[in-house]
Amino acid sequence: MTDLSLRGLTWHPYSRAEPTVLDLDLEIPTGQRVLLAGASGSGKSTVLRALAGLLDEESGELSGSAPGPARPGERGLLLQNPLDALVAATVGREAAFGPENAALPREEIQARTTAALDAALVDLDSDRAPLDASGGQQQRLALAGSLALDPSALLLDEPTSMLDEDTAAAVRESLLASATDRTLVVAEHRITPWLDHVDRLLVLDAQARILADGPPHEIAAGLPDSPAAPHRTAPPRSDSRECTGEVIAALRGVDAKRGGRPVLEELEIELLGGRLSVITGPSGSGKTTLLRTLLGLTSPSAGSVERPAAEQLAFVPQNPEHSFVAATVREEVLASPWARDEQLAEQLLERAGLSDLAQTHPHTLSGGEQRRLAIIAALAQTPRLLVLDEPTVGLDAARRAAVLELLDAARARGCAVVAATHDPVLIAHADREHRLSGVVAEEGGPCRTGPDRTIGPVPRSRAIPADALNPLVLSLIGILAAVGSFAVQSWQGGLLALLPIVLLAPLAVRSLRAGLLRLTPILLSAAGLAWTTALLGQAPPLSGEAWLLGGKEAARITVFVAPGVLALGSVDPTALGDALGGRLRMPARMVAASVAGLVRAGHLGRQWEIITHARMLRGLGSRSSPRMLAGATLALLVDALRGAQQQALAMDSRGFATATTRTWALPSPLRRADLLGVAIALALAVWPLLAEMLVG
Amino acid sequence: MTRFRTVDLLVTVLIGAAFGVAFLGYGQLYTLIGPLTAAFKPAEGLLAGIWFLPAVLAALIVRKPGAALLAEMIAAVLSMLLGSQWGWGTAISGLMQGGGVELAFLLTRYRHFTLPVAMLGGILSALLEWGWEKFAYYQEMSWTYSFLMLGFFVISGALLCGVLGWAAGRALAATGALDAMPAGRERAQRARVAART
Repeated sequence: MTDLSLRGLTWHPYSRAEPTVLDLDLEIPTGQRVLLAGASGSGKSTVLRALAGLLDEESGELSGSAPGPARPGERGLLLQNPLDALVAATVGREAAFGPENAALPREEIQARTTAALDAALVDLDSDRAPLDASGGQQQRLALAGSLALDPSALLLDEPTSMLDEDTAAAVRESLLASATDRTLVVAEHRITPWLDHVDRLLVLDAQARILADGPPHEIAAGLPDSPAAPHRTAPPRSDSRECTGEVIAALRGVDAKRGGRPVLEELEIELLGGRLSVITGPSGSGKTTLLRTLLGLTSPSAGSVERPAAEQLAFVPQNPEHSFVAATVREEVLASPWARDEQLAEQLLERAGLSDLAQTHPHTLSGGEQRRLAIIAALAQTPRLLVLDEPTVGLDAARRAAVLELLDAARARGCAVVAATHDPVLIAHADREHRLSGVVAEEGGPCRTGPDRTIGPVPRSRAIPADALNPLVLSLIGILAAVGSFAVQSWQGGLLALLPIVLLAPLAVRSLRAGLLRLTPILLSAAGLAWTTALLGQAPPLSGEAWLLGGKEAARITVFVAPGVLALGSVDPTALGDALGGRLRMPARMVAASVAGLVRAGHLGRQWEIITHARMLRGLGSRSSPRMLAGATLALLVDALRGAQQQALAMDSRGFATATTRTWALPSPLRRADLLGVAIALALAVWPLLAEMLVG
Repeated sequence: MTRFRTVDLLVTVLIGAAFGVAFLGYGQLYTLIGPLTAAFKPAEGLLAGIWFLPAVLAALIVRKPGAALLAEMIAAVLSMLLGSQWGWGTAISGLMQGGGVELAFLLTRYRHFTLPVAMLGGILSALLEWGWEKFAYYQEMSWTYSFLMLGFFVISGALLCGVLGWAAGRALAATGALDAMPAGRERAQRARVAART
């Protein structure tokens, strides 16, 4: 174990006009617990990255010394948004990622994973999906991912800022417990909860200049504008909490489901003009479903929803970038066809402190500025109902106050404002709180012996025979069948060639519905091909001969495609990665990164939904307008690219940068069933030829 | 500089994955030109270039050998796993489309990342993809119509893949999301100069 040390460090990212860290000297002796404080933009995150040895010399100029870790994972780094750290389809594989990179043997990977998940108090079975877990469990899982490599230092970047109070306290406790016997560096703008647990408080100013450094309580007390002091604007609340006013929107006796699971029952909510309401409750209690129901994106399964017309309703998503469409801040404010008043736009820009930035690109603004821009863009539509998802999450005190001022402006105008939140300051600021308790407990259960830690394959909804085959064999079936299809020369031969596929199909579909879902597109495009061939083929258009030719083509393309599509239904990216990396020995980093990307596809799909809905709610077009699709694609790419940069950090802190040879937590066995699979593949390859001979 | 950093790998993979997801939404575009393609299938070639976008964007952004091919393969594999109607044909298409764009940048030895090279990439992709589709799907289509379709493919490859991809790269650089990537550096340097003056 070595001390952490930065000497004369200057870091100038190519993207910035000024260095973000200027000539910093910092020594952290082994075992010390340090709290890094300072406003957003003071360089806390960069200092943590420097301590982790993760400043990337291809994206900036580095001078001075910042020695890297001695071995992979020696310094664990936890990010503000745990979602960025996730790489795997199951909890077990997530924790196993670091040990795999360190090329540990399988038994060791399992042992490390079990110990790490236990230490981080991850209350989820190993086969659960990390991307579906709550924020608190995700941050615990990220901690387990670091602990699995037995780090000598833990570097935490605002690790609890995305969590509600209770969860944050519990996670903080786990973090501190894990940091015993380790060096700990925490970057936070809310320092109070950490003060009792650290040895040293460092306050940073712009460019990571050290403003103060010493015993935590002494330093904190001496801060002129203490970041610990709850900074809030005086809430211009109505005199009594008895709310009266015009009902702008209401949910009456609403039941709603998410993924078939009931999350809201018998909900009664009235939203009044000129009032700020907050929707609170633990994650999984249905806050998002409530907002979606209110906005009309989900229909309730029972009850009714009253809401203003589309042009009088505005929505600000949790990630403001999801709603951005314009190239400058001013254009963004006026982007919606329902935002016509240029004078109002100027006032709002002034009010949000964005006038000087009016010509800037919205995406290049800081997090707090983006949040304010999204809110004034919504207000520029002069809505009667303003709906916001977590409008203050991750903001420091000053930036949160600026957001609250804008919400006050909205309610002063008589707008009904409703926000889903777990920010205590915002909740205290509201006129009304609607607390959701959730219909069923989301995670864990009261009477459990403890979560299952065995690393296993990604679970499936219902087992089918095709699951017994190795993904490589399933691929072989599709590929050889496709090759064989070219032997189809006549419509009779084509029909005969289809026979074994029809007979084998039941072995590869999970349910009738799933099978139809996969086969319908094939059959439609086969029909399309038949039509095209009959119309544009060598024979006279639409003659009997042309139709027979079309029929042959339809049969051939079905034989070509169907076996592959059906067999692929059983392939999941994680098992495919194990096969390609572990068995075929393809380049390990490429395979592992590809699996991480494919695992995120579901998450990207949800982002796509949010992005397209945010745009439709702004009146910017329908789902099928090319302009809308282009804008949404760009927004999805921005999201994916920013995520990629965070995810790369998280992966490199778990030893991925050097993992050119790595191990795979699960084997990719070839069993007896696979012999049968290969036989099927070979049979499908030659059968069309035999069929032609039989009919020909 | 040809080694893939982790961020290069992830950016490449996620461009592929993002398009794999967006492609599901693009199905709508086909309904838009549905009446046209029902009467005259080769017109569908007009949209072909859209499918080569992940390759050209990855090449323009990551600027390392293999990025175009990897991004396009990820998009193809993803749509295959999600149940694309072309099954394993999708993987071959990914190889052709990614390979075409890759070839164009290879011809410049990965030194030029400009609009003409992007358009060339789109055209090469179009040629290869057309060859594959002619062989696999449109064997019986008469050569006259097949060559007409090739014409549509090439135009679409040059415009929808080349020009649109290049424009999308510029638009992404303007958002600052590429600042850690070579493609973002030019914007970043301009911003630095502007800040000094």
